[in-house]
Amino acid sequence: MTVTGQEIADYVDRVRAALADLPPAIRDELTEDLPEHLAEVAAEADGALVDRLGEPEAYAAELRAAAGAEAGAGSGRRGRRLAAAQARAGTQLRALDTQLGPLLGQSSVSEFLRPLRPAWWLLRGWLAALVISVVLQEPSGLLPRLDGSVLAGLFLLAGTVLASVWLGRRAPGFRGWPRRLLRLGTAAFLIFSFAMLVNVDQHASSDQFGSYQEVSVGDRYDSIEDVFVYDQEGRLVRNAQLFDQNGVPIRLGWPTCLDASGNMPAPRNAYPYCPDRAPFGPPAPAAPTLSAPPAPGASAAPGPSGSATPAPTVTPSVAPSESAPTPAPTR
Amino acid sequence: MDTTQLLKGVLDLAVLAVLKNEDGYGYDILRRLREAGLEEVGDASVYGTLRRLFAAGLLTTYVVPSESGPHRKYYSLNAAGRDQLTRSGKTWRSFAITMDALLDDRGMAA
Repeated sequence: MTVTGQEIADYVDRVRAALADLPPAIRDELTEDLPEHLAEVAAEADGALVDRLGEPEAYAAELRAAAGAEAGAGSGRRGRRLAAAQARAGTQLRALDTQLGPLLGQSSVSEFLRPLRPAWWLLRGWLAALVISVVLQEPSGLLPRLDGSVLAGLFLLAGTVLASVWLGRRAPGFRGWPRRLLRLGTAAFLIFSFAMLVNVDQHASSDQFGSYQEVSVGDRYDSIEDVFVYDQEGRLVRNAQLFDQNGVPIRLGWPTCLDASGNMPAPRNAYPYCPDRAPFGPPAPAAPTLSAPPAPGASAAPGPSGSATPAPTVTPSVAPSESAPTPAPTR
Repeated sequence: MDTTQLLKGVLDLAVLAVLKNEDGYGYDILRRLREAGLEEVGDASVYGTLRRLFAAGLLTTYVVPSESGPHRKYYSLNAAGRDQLTRSGKTWRSFAITMDALLDDRGMAA
């Protein structure tokens, strides 16, 4: 395996990270020759840098010890603790990196990800084009648009993709603040484009006809299977039709019984579907059946209780009366 | 006895010594030390030592542009460095003589 510029850059980064607690000037001074040195080592023979020089952290420790450099006075205890925590986190990440590698058929996860870099550059270019078109308030789906034109959007896309690839090829050479800026920018960019993608996805999956309302129905009537309308006299009204204030039919429930011919009737705007299942029995010609379920709203509504209407000769106390509850008298 | 332990004490002197006759850049100095027999010297130790000697005012540096590769930072001994090399060299010689005599007294082969 030949040592790549990327490997050198990574090694330098890790050495610098391990020296993060030093004052920047001293750290820069210590690592100033490092890229050249690594290039010389790389040119000398084959093999990974880590195999010949040891882990970057060890290299950093040796460098620090030999140079007699201690953590700067400016950084203090908190700075050192922060650097130590950073180093610990880095070590754990790297351990995880190599542990998870075999799952992907590579020695480490980063080994697996490295060849995918150009794919990320393309994706970044596309996301950048989308972000630009969203920022310019263009109506955008998954293709960027400029001035509402898809063609201009495609030019924009080509431009951002090229820029992203160029940046990707240049980035390993970045040091110091341009590198930090790039990382910060990438993080912010990822968050923004994720939010934007979620937004686009919502638009894509929402039903275009969702607002078109054919029938006036609310969720809270979902449990209603059938509707029974009783007239003033307590008689069941057949084929009643319901409408809302706009004249739109109100459709509730669904047929749950077979009609006379043994078929399931089609839903229609006429209630009840199943007159046989009326909760209150049909007006009985004879004496009131008190075992029947109590009238809805015992006193207020003219309850279809008992056999009120057809037999005015029946004992007055049983008749639907405004004041007395119906079941009282006979027992 | 582990040579790396001994090296720690004398690396300053070794680096000053290989710079006595000819200036050199980091990798070059490392190669000279290894060719002189100090195989176990660590890359980072040499670079660290160079920085420390420079900070102590014993070395001066200058950059040489290179057509083939990166620019190289050369180190050279200044007057203070030569002075230090002379003194440290004397100290080391007398120390080495003392150690040799001690081992000879105990009948140990050189």
